[in-house]
Amino acid sequence: MISATDDPQQLIEAYLVKLRTRLRGMNDEDVREIVQELRAHITDKANASEEVTAAAVDSALGALGSPEELAGQYLTDALLSRAEISQSPIRILEGLFRWATLSIAGFFVMLGSIVGYFLGIVFMLCALLKPFHSQTTGLWISRNSNNDLSFFIRLGFGGVPANKQEVLGWWIVPIGLLVGCGLVMLTTRFALWCARRYRRSRALPQG
Amino acid sequence: MQSIDDMKRADRRDPETGDKWEVQLRKGCLELAILAALWDGKLYGLEILRRLESDSDLIVSEGTIYPLLSRLKALGLVRSEWVESDAGHPRKYYALTPTGSDRAREMATIWLRFSSSMSKLLAPLRRAK
Repeated sequence: MISATDDPQQLIEAYLVKLRTRLRGMNDEDVREIVQELRAHITDKANASEEVTAAAVDSALGALGSPEELAGQYLTDALLSRAEISQSPIRILEGLFRWATLSIAGFFVMLGSIVGYFLGIVFMLCALLKPFHSQTTGLWISRNSNNDLSFFIRLGFGGVPANKQEVLGWWIVPIGLLVGCGLVMLTTRFALWCARRYRRSRALPQG
Repeated sequence: MQSIDDMKRADRRDPETGDKWEVQLRKGCLELAILAALWDGKLYGLEILRRLESDSDLIVSEGTIYPLLSRLKALGLVRSEWVESDAGHPRKYYALTPTGSDRAREMATIWLRFSSSMSKLLAPLRRAK
């Protein structure tokens, strides 16, 4: 680890400040405990070699990993344990958003989950709005001059589109609800599976 | 037929099969190992790490043990308390909750049953050649 200062105490505090910044969004009390516990750990490790030197602190910090990496593990863990209590998409996305700020893996999982939840919600809305806009809501197809098919999910706002044909009729209600719920459930499972894999991949030193 | 030593050598040559499998196996028993380390009483993070290293040669990366402990706490398997120390700072000690003890006992039973039946199956491999 490259450091600008040789004061062991400053090294520890600089590391903890970075970690605290990256844990923002977690419960304040939890963050305080995490920081206090790690400060004790680093001091204990560095103390093992008689005197707390910058080198001893450096090696203790090196063994802990970067603040980003460590915060990533706390945040995915928080996401996983929260998911055991509530699997609401908003909570999952909230957790994913924090994870995404720390790692590329988290960013792609968040992106995938947003797409999944968005499509799921569109299908459900389509089913729910059908009774109100019976002529215009549903799954529509159109063909262009090359005879290529395009599909559109319409929520029914605006007029009846020209050159397009509605295909499912009232079937969009059960199908939309089923597909929508299915997509939301699958997305949640996908996000948690990724978080679990990420956690496992960091459980032991690689090799 | 190969002896265990031959297989170990083969494993080392092929990280895709041997090492990966061993890493997966070790990861799989990490939770049980932590609960077992706490069986005799409360320990703080660094003590748990040292206990795992000395008694099970499970080398856990240091950055992993703390998030894992807070997860076990969120699941209600361990509880924690701050205790003042001679070192001049308080340390966070972890201890099993009744649910944690039950879980540890249950996992240990499964582990022992499984490992003794595997040992039976593996016995001929020890006598190889």
